[in-house]
Amino acid sequence: MRKRKENLTGYVFVAPALIVFLVFVAFPFFFSLFLSLTEWNFLSGWGGIQWKGLENFAKLAGDQNFRQAVVNTVIYTVATVPISILIALVLAYVLNGKVYLKKTLRLAFFIPYISNMVALAAVFKFMFRDDGIINNVLLNVFHLQEVPRWLSNSELNKIPIILILIWTAVGYELIVYMAALQNVPKELYEAGKLDGATGFKQFVHITFPMISPTTFYLVVVRMIAAFKVFSAINIITLGTATRGNTSLVVEIYQDAFQSYKFGYASAEAVVLFAIILAITLFNFWGQKKWVHY
Amino acid sequence: MKKRDIRIAILKTVILTLLALLFVSPLLWMVSSSLKPASEVFATPFHLIPETVKWSNYVTVWTDDTVSMIQAYFNTFKIVIIATFGQIVIASMAAYAFAKVDFRGKNIIFLLFLSSMMIPTQVTIIPRFMLFKTMNLYNTHWSIILPTLFGATSIFMLRQFYMGLPNDLMEAAKIDGAGHFRIFLQIMMPLTKSAMITLVVLAFIASWNEYLSPLIFLTKEKLFTVSQAIRWYLQDDLKRYELVMAASTSAILPVVILFITCQKYFVEGIATSGVKG
Repeated sequence: MRKRKENLTGYVFVAPALIVFLVFVAFPFFFSLFLSLTEWNFLSGWGGIQWKGLENFAKLAGDQNFRQAVVNTVIYTVATVPISILIALVLAYVLNGKVYLKKTLRLAFFIPYISNMVALAAVFKFMFRDDGIINNVLLNVFHLQEVPRWLSNSELNKIPIILILIWTAVGYELIVYMAALQNVPKELYEAGKLDGATGFKQFVHITFPMISPTTFYLVVVRMIAAFKVFSAINIITLGTATRGNTSLVVEIYQDAFQSYKFGYASAEAVVLFAIILAITLFNFWGQKKWVHY
Repeated sequence: MKKRDIRIAILKTVILTLLALLFVSPLLWMVSSSLKPASEVFATPFHLIPETVKWSNYVTVWTDDTVSMIQAYFNTFKIVIIATFGQIVIASMAAYAFAKVDFRGKNIIFLLFLSSMMIPTQVTIIPRFMLFKTMNLYNTHWSIILPTLFGATSIFMLRQFYMGLPNDLMEAAKIDGAGHFRIFLQIMMPLTKSAMITLVVLAFIASWNEYLSPLIFLTKEKLFTVSQAIRWYLQDDLKRYELVMAASTSAILPVVILFITCQKYFVEGIATSGVKG
């Protein structure tokens, strides 16, 4: 009797979360998997779903646009994750030492992370215009003969996008690193001093190994975030004809909601899921293997 | 030695201040441009302080007939408040059950919730679109609010917190005849206040800055969120750059204010989620 009541209470407490989870996470997830094996234009109604088996995935393999999107996403990840983490680590290390105005400085580095990405991308879009302030500086301060056309060239276009991604990631990584640095036991530094480890040596031999779990965590979290990049690209390329800078999510968005190829776009979404799953599993495996405590 | 330490600290502060200025310079440019007439935004030479400060840009953006910032603020606040509040209440209940109630299937459900962290919302956006179409939720704010009510991270973090609360508290209340509902509402939940504030701040900011879902699920201008309002001004054929910047400044301001007032909770939240990994 008591046990049944306890069971019931448990279900009542979990029910709201479980219902939202089933309807808006679990069901859509499995339906995505199903749709990836079909061809379907939403406009043709439910009856228009056609079973295609693995055909979508076969098509993806030969799709130039999709390949470009995957390559770009990898470029964004490789270009932003290591650089932003390195910047954050250096800043955190210095900020953690004896510095004045600590809180104000931290705030300044942090604001981009909490700011609206659409707003920030709009600012960058204007700053990188042909007649924008970046080119102005290049012309008048660095005396360049010819300035780059950042927004109309797909390759150059990646630079403002990469810069935004780095700029907005540093704040988060900085806060995590600062907390990690404060957790390094002071005795280790004392002991290190006796062995002659100060300054740079201290950083390489004591600090860096001690915060390696944090570095690993940040690499994984930022990699997953980088694979989901969308807003910055969507805004920077708005109204331009550049197509060479798409990412996976941009490609999914365009195929699904501009071309209404729901089945095909679902197959792309499944690929994105597979990549994120792989990073997560790598995380579990790597945590045991590489992180020294 | 002491004097040398101070000199190094000052030098570090100066270098960091310069870097910090570089960091916020795009935002300074944004605020400056939002107060200029359109013709001056890209004018050379560049003036950080506008020649004539044009506050009327903000008036235009805030009272526009089609997409006003007032409407966008109202819409976004409505979504953010219901979504954030709902998420924390629902997560608290589930977290309490996972931590303190002994019921069948508990571990399986918890594992299901945990594994959902691996499913990015971008992957489920197509079925959600169909779901909202068939449920008649497309072009309503509920299409943004409802999925946000489930927050795996919030449930996970609150569960950790509830597990840390001593069972003695509960046993004593049980002897006095209190059931789980009273224990949860009157004893346990108030003790998680700091964790809840942290999660509220994190969820608030994520929800305020959300872009992909509103872009897909809300197409009527009257329903636009602040992110969409900026996009709308950006697409404007009249090329009113100063208005885009005024809208952007308006979109960033509330979050910065929230961060400054809740800095402690915010930093704690990010730090605990990160350092423990």
